[in-house]
Amino acid sequence: MYKLILKLAWKNSFLRRARVLLVIIMIAVSMSMMLVLEGVYDGLVKNMVDKNKRSESGDISIFAKEYRVNRDLTYRIKNADEIKAQLQSMKGVEAVVLRVKADGLLSTARKSSFASLIGIDLKEEEHFGKFSEFLKEGVIDLQKQGAIVGIELAKTLKLRIGSKVVFSTQDTKGEINSIALHVRAIVQTTNIGLDNSAIFIDINQSHKFLGTTSQDAMQIAIRGEERELYEKLKRAFPNLDVKEFLELQPMMKMMQDVMIIFNSVTFLIVMGVVFIGIFGVMYVSILERVREFGIMISLGMPYRYIRAQIFLESIVVGLLGYLGGAVLGAVLLIYLERYGIDLSAFSDALEMWGYEAVIYATIKVSYFTTTFGAIITASLLSVIIPLAKIKKLNPIEVIKADK
Amino acid sequence: MIKLQNVNKYFYRGEPREVHALRDINLIIEAGEFTLFRGPSGCGKTTLLNVIGALDSCDSGEIFLQEREITALSEGERTNLRLHEMGFVFQAYNLIPVLNVEENIGFVMRLRGFSDSDIKKRVLEVATLLEIDNKLKSLPNALSGGQQQRVAVARAVAAKPKIILADEPTANLDSKNSEILIGMMRELNEREEISILFASHDELIMRSVTRIVTLIDGAVADDYKQ
Repeated sequence: MYKLILKLAWKNSFLRRARVLLVIIMIAVSMSMMLVLEGVYDGLVKNMVDKNKRSESGDISIFAKEYRVNRDLTYRIKNADEIKAQLQSMKGVEAVVLRVKADGLLSTARKSSFASLIGIDLKEEEHFGKFSEFLKEGVIDLQKQGAIVGIELAKTLKLRIGSKVVFSTQDTKGEINSIALHVRAIVQTTNIGLDNSAIFIDINQSHKFLGTTSQDAMQIAIRGEERELYEKLKRAFPNLDVKEFLELQPMMKMMQDVMIIFNSVTFLIVMGVVFIGIFGVMYVSILERVREFGIMISLGMPYRYIRAQIFLESIVVGLLGYLGGAVLGAVLLIYLERYGIDLSAFSDALEMWGYEAVIYATIKVSYFTTTFGAIITASLLSVIIPLAKIKKLNPIEVIKADK
Repeated sequence: MIKLQNVNKYFYRGEPREVHALRDINLIIEAGEFTLFRGPSGCGKTTLLNVIGALDSCDSGEIFLQEREITALSEGERTNLRLHEMGFVFQAYNLIPVLNVEENIGFVMRLRGFSDSDIKKRVLEVATLLEIDNKLKSLPNALSGGQQQRVAVARAVAAKPKIILADEPTANLDSKNSEILIGMMRELNEREEISILFASHDELIMRSVTRIVTLIDGAVADDYKQ
């Protein structure tokens, strides 16, 4: 029996080939565009999250209590080296870095600006977040009073490679202290905070300058994706301020939410288009075949078989559209994942908002599974009204009309 | 056996344009009868056929198929009755355009759940009888009117129903094809012992049937066997 229904559905699906083909193309194109948008949106956010984690906050960061409220050297972790060793032995921890931080004034001969001095261990930062990938200009080198500055800070102070700068701040004793530095590199992290104000120096140099010891740190940043790690660390260090990425970067959370809304709206629009497309083609197709359905009913075909046939017809159209869209979308996403979209023409505006000029897409299986479910649902929903018409069909009227 | 007792049918009941389509019809049609309902246009012959064929319900009276009363059946039960007990031949052939001749003939059998081998065997048998066995793979639109109507008859006969209801089956055929078709239906009626009821005013059918029921204004005006 189901063989007959399948045959009827399959053959009727292609009764008006040009019309069905147009709907299939419409579904395929709109779906592939939606997949591309989803992939690009996600890629954009993923890229920003990734760079923020690598350049600053990690997946989890630990601070002394009060430090985030009052960025004073007093609120530093005084046994950071021990904690680091402890963390490195914990399951789920992939990398740990210590950072020494102090806010102050960065001056050239002509200009001054607020800046955040960050003492880092370059080798560890490379392992932690591939620091060298942020290099925009110069050479990553912090030896001999070397410094690396954020790109926006460099623009503000008109710094070049080799420029001399002086950073002034209060040390642990409360005295104003200054350090002369040579700009060796300019970095672009797309982390707005860092690009606008960071000046990186060697961590040992920063200890010497600020009067802290190698056991001290203002921030311990940790890489580790395990969900339980955060809770574990909170329990392990109750006297410290343990924060996960999204708590440290509420803007990122907001951006993720905005992207989810963008994707959902795009998804709904595309599914609306799919629904209207299939509804249109199925409605016309069913109305054209009222006589055929009337004959089937009069011959004794139960309504449930007709319903199954019509559902199958709409699924065939939806499924073919889906397959076309999935293939086209996958090809486009693979291309954009590899080569990205080059928006260098708008790089200034994009970078101001923390985006890169070349945006790479991401590919998730969920794009395809969710779309599959939605297209099948839209296909099934689109024939409810035509089916209601068939249910009300009086075969005698159809036969009478035939005479 | 089909038995109709005081069957009445109205259209637009209670409205000013009310039509009393069937008036106190009392009939007994024995198994294997070759019967014609005749009469002028609008006399109720198609309505009577539809009521007997469970395509339509009557407003009063009772209809029995064998011993089973079919007047009070639900829509689903009527569909099931049509599937298992009836065969239909319509004026406009009404074949399913996307199915080939073989599939059209086997359509009702497939709905009834016959096996593939039984369907194939029976389809070939009736197609041979109706001389369309060389057209089994053709689509309906590739056939002449006469051939299409033979496919429709084959479809009605294939599942061995108890009754075949044929509403103006020759109306779209020329006299030669009409003669062939009626001859074939007569043969099927005799071979398969299927009751065949016609609604028609075709003289050819009138000459071929064994019983003629004349309807005028929805009532039986004459009923005789020949």
